[in-house]
Amino acid sequence: MRWRANTAIGGTLIALLLGTAVAAAFWTPFDPLRINLKARLQPPSSLHWLGTDEFGRDVLSRLMTGASASVVVALATVLIAVSIGVLVGGVAGYLRGWTDRIIMAVNDALLAFPGILLALAVMIVVGANKTGLVLALGLAYIPSVARVVRGTVLSIREREYIEASRVIGNSEFYSMVRHVLPNAMAPVAVLATSMFGWVLLAESALSFLGLGVPPPAPTWGNMLAASRPYMETAAWLSVAPGLCIALTLLGINLLGDSLRDRLDPRMAHG
Amino acid sequence: MLGYLTRRLAMTIPTLFLVAIAVFTLVRLIPGDPVQVMLGDNTDAAQAAQLRAQLGLDQPVPLQFLYWLGHLATGDLGHSITNNLPVLPLILERFQVSAVIVLVAVGLAACIAVVAGLIAAWKQNSALDLAIVGGATLLLSIPSFWLGLLLLLLFGLKLKWLPVIGYVPFSENFWQAAMFMLLPIATLTIVEIGVLTRMARAASIEVLRLEYVTHARAKGVPEWLVLGRHVLPNAFAPTWTLIGLVLGHLLGGIAVIETVFTLPGLGRLLVDSIFARDYPVVQGCLLFTAVIYVVVNLIVDLCYPLFDPRVAVA
Amino acid sequence: MNARRPSCVMMAGLIALAAMLAAAPVRAGAETLLRTRLNADIRSTDPGTNRDANTDGVMAHLVEGLVAFRDDTSIGPMLADSWDVSNDGKTYTFHLRQGVKFHNGAVMTSADVVWSLKRWLDPATQWRCLSEFSASGIAQIEKIEAPDTQTVAITLDRATALFLPTLARPDCGQAAIIHHDSVGPDGKWIAPVGTGPFKLGDWKRGQYVDLVRFDGYVARSEPRSGNAGAKTADVDRVRFNIIPDSSAAKAGLLSGALDVVSNLSIPDLEDLKGRPDVQLSITPALGLTGILFQTRDPLLKDLRIRRAIALSLDTPEIVDAVMEGTARANNSALPIGSPFYGEAEAHGYTQNVAEAKKLLVQAGYHGQPIKMIANKRYSYVFDSAVLVQAMAQSVGINIEIEVLDWAAQLDRYNRGDYQSMAFTYSARLDPSLSFEMLTGPKATQPRKVWDNPEAQVMMQQSMMIDDKAKRQELFDEMHRRFIDDVPMVVLFNGSEIAGLRKNVKGYAGWLFAQPRFWGVSIR
Repeated sequence: MRWRANTAIGGTLIALLLGTAVAAAFWTPFDPLRINLKARLQPPSSLHWLGTDEFGRDVLSRLMTGASASVVVALATVLIAVSIGVLVGGVAGYLRGWTDRIIMAVNDALLAFPGILLALAVMIVVGANKTGLVLALGLAYIPSVARVVRGTVLSIREREYIEASRVIGNSEFYSMVRHVLPNAMAPVAVLATSMFGWVLLAESALSFLGLGVPPPAPTWGNMLAASRPYMETAAWLSVAPGLCIALTLLGINLLGDSLRDRLDPRMAHG
Repeated sequence: MLGYLTRRLAMTIPTLFLVAIAVFTLVRLIPGDPVQVMLGDNTDAAQAAQLRAQLGLDQPVPLQFLYWLGHLATGDLGHSITNNLPVLPLILERFQVSAVIVLVAVGLAACIAVVAGLIAAWKQNSALDLAIVGGATLLLSIPSFWLGLLLLLLFGLKLKWLPVIGYVPFSENFWQAAMFMLLPIATLTIVEIGVLTRMARAASIEVLRLEYVTHARAKGVPEWLVLGRHVLPNAFAPTWTLIGLVLGHLLGGIAVIETVFTLPGLGRLLVDSIFARDYPVVQGCLLFTAVIYVVVNLIVDLCYPLFDPRVAVA
Repeated sequence: MNARRPSCVMMAGLIALAAMLAAAPVRAGAETLLRTRLNADIRSTDPGTNRDANTDGVMAHLVEGLVAFRDDTSIGPMLADSWDVSNDGKTYTFHLRQGVKFHNGAVMTSADVVWSLKRWLDPATQWRCLSEFSASGIAQIEKIEAPDTQTVAITLDRATALFLPTLARPDCGQAAIIHHDSVGPDGKWIAPVGTGPFKLGDWKRGQYVDLVRFDGYVARSEPRSGNAGAKTADVDRVRFNIIPDSSAAKAGLLSGALDVVSNLSIPDLEDLKGRPDVQLSITPALGLTGILFQTRDPLLKDLRIRRAIALSLDTPEIVDAVMEGTARANNSALPIGSPFYGEAEAHGYTQNVAEAKKLLVQAGYHGQPIKMIANKRYSYVFDSAVLVQAMAQSVGINIEIEVLDWAAQLDRYNRGDYQSMAFTYSARLDPSLSFEMLTGPKATQPRKVWDNPEAQVMMQQSMMIDDKAKRQELFDEMHRRFIDDVPMVVLFNGSEIAGLRKNVKGYAGWLFAQPRFWGVSIR
């Protein structure tokens, strides 16, 4: 029941998002970068459905183009964080002993940094661009994933069915990939979906603090940060990207929930 | 117990050493140096060299690191390049501000989130559940600076209930201090509720499936008692560990809130120092937050058995 | 149930607190307090050493020098009533003002002046402007003498037009005359005991700096002008609140928590216009914003490409959009406010798309990307970069903007490590210095954007001679060459925008983007 509702709503939202991102590559109502100084800060109208920004650029076109940029950045960051995090956490939990201790010491050291500020410093070093942002945020989020995965691996590898699998004669590595990893996927899915949202927001917070994906190329985050001085006089500038982020997150989270329900054997019959 | 504590503390030393190295390396990798920031576009090469020598920045970087480490061992974090103040007292003073906001906000958020998560889990798959999950997701997706400015506009400018800028320490005037803290705390609370509710819901769902809940229900224990006595405390445990985990992120997030509300907290100090390339302060702040993080997680682990009777301290 | 309780308590608390605030008297007693804002804390109370623009601005209320800049960047008397210059231009004899009191009540004599100046010249003081008085600077000081208690004579090793302007420079701490109680017996700085209209009050680091009216101050008789003229403190206390975020500062102004907010950003202007309880003060400033080119870059060393970029730009439209009508277009290195800004300087680039395209074809340019560094610390720098990018695009020039934080950009600037960058220079108060900040040999000073030996010679000449007409000739010629060489495109000089509550009287901005609170009152 719930699974279907989640999937339906989440799926619709994400399909819309992806559709927009793809469509923007071929067509937008206006050129998202075209500056028109005679039409600055215009409220939504029949010509500009979502109004124009401080350079007279069409907000709807920028939102559409921004969809793909934001999604690519968020996906890439989550992919990096999850893949490296699962690998590192899995190895630590699987091998245990000294490897585990060393990996976890490094991991804890990284985890002890305030995420956004670590990203800020890394971005100053590698440069404020999409690659820099993905690297910086990816690095900031790897340790959380690694920690969760390690914890799950440690707790699951002692369970009876793993033991049983070993007794049957399966190699430890096989048991691990076959049984342990799927079980670790549930918490990782929750984390990854939240992380997707964090990335969208972190990007805007970084722009707010002075460094994000450099405009003029739009992302939702930098649009939101740029709208700040106009919150009172031109509210549409912040509402539109804010709502896009919120709806995307809702969609991702709902899909993430249903994904988790399918992946997690204990939750299958909820 | 004491042995466990010593072991845990000993385990944190390599972590902190790694942090120290990482901090130092990262800070020195950042292009630009404090001398250029101080002199601006009017930099004269001789002047810059003189200032660098004065600040000890002309020494080789590894030597600077050893020097810093040596002082660190005696508890001396050095002096700020910007205003020559000793770093540790500066950090402690700023930390008080951040600590109040974070503690109160996370406490409030956790209380609200655990209850909301429990209700959502209890009524899993209902419209109420969807509403709570949807609401939490919506909160999760509000940028804190945006929310902060919105509250500032509403309560500070439109209604004129609260002061919009400034700060008074609690030691000076409790009520005034509280007024200045109200909006930042509210902002952080709202933002954190989003994250914690989703976690609390997931935890509650797990607990609700456990046998003793089924047992209790079968024995005819009233539903509110089942939830209140059996599920709530157990659902709190995972949320509690999460608090330790999100603390690092919180100290980053607080930088944004402190900027919006002009509070002299640790987050803002760190951001300002990064932009000013005030190496000793950046190093000190990052190291300090790392220590706080380690200590908080230690406390979280030590308290864990209090919430989850299934786990004993090993 | 539990979910509601904390929020109910919070709401109740909020209402109670609000009621208390409304009941509490906002201003107790008859003390008049003016509340303003700094976007960052001051670095120290030691003028001219550990300083930045904010520090200079606050210090200008506390200390004074022998001479000071007037509103039009000319030099006016301050602690010296008058001065004579010897025929060889090397000896300056200052006649001090009578009866000037330090904040501790002591009366200023020539001994204080000699002590202060010698302290500045002591390397241990770490004076920012010490290098100006070294062999490589404008002139070396050979002698400082006090023939009587009201006279001080300073002898230089060569004549220079820049001696008095350097003494008056705010970033040099106006070479302030201070009482020796300002430092301890070990020579270490304690606190400024100066002669300014305000005394230093409470300094809560990271929160505020308080200045208190100095009752023993006797103002000069000429009207207030720049840092010179009459300086009367009309309020009892000035509080500089440290508020980095400009939106928060704006909110403070609107709510009445601040009386004056200077250094407002352009987007704030829109919001403040037409508010009944707020007035705006807009003054042209001396800073300089423009696009720098690295003339050693393989691509941009081609004059035709640089020229094409310059011709693709509609400077007035850029300035109008970026500064919202508060500033005028200016392609000259001299600021519009300078007394030397004449007809020659007003002649810059005119947009010519056809010519730009022709030059690009001649240069064989076919869309190679040109990186342009910008920062977001100064919104007008970033906005200028965006508009330049868009306009250059229309003639087929492919500019890619790279955003760095200010310190990283400064580093690239100082090393000359860039293709192009949108940059903003701080104020230079003398036209020779305006050119000095741009021209120089790149081999030894990589930060200099204009490497033209002839221009350097003219610049050196302009520093030596005192004759206005001759200097004007030099500046006009340098301007023409500057426009021909296109080492950079100057776009505009900034403007200093301050928002004031309606009850603030007597505030005026000036060419230097630092607020002055003498002569300002609250009704």
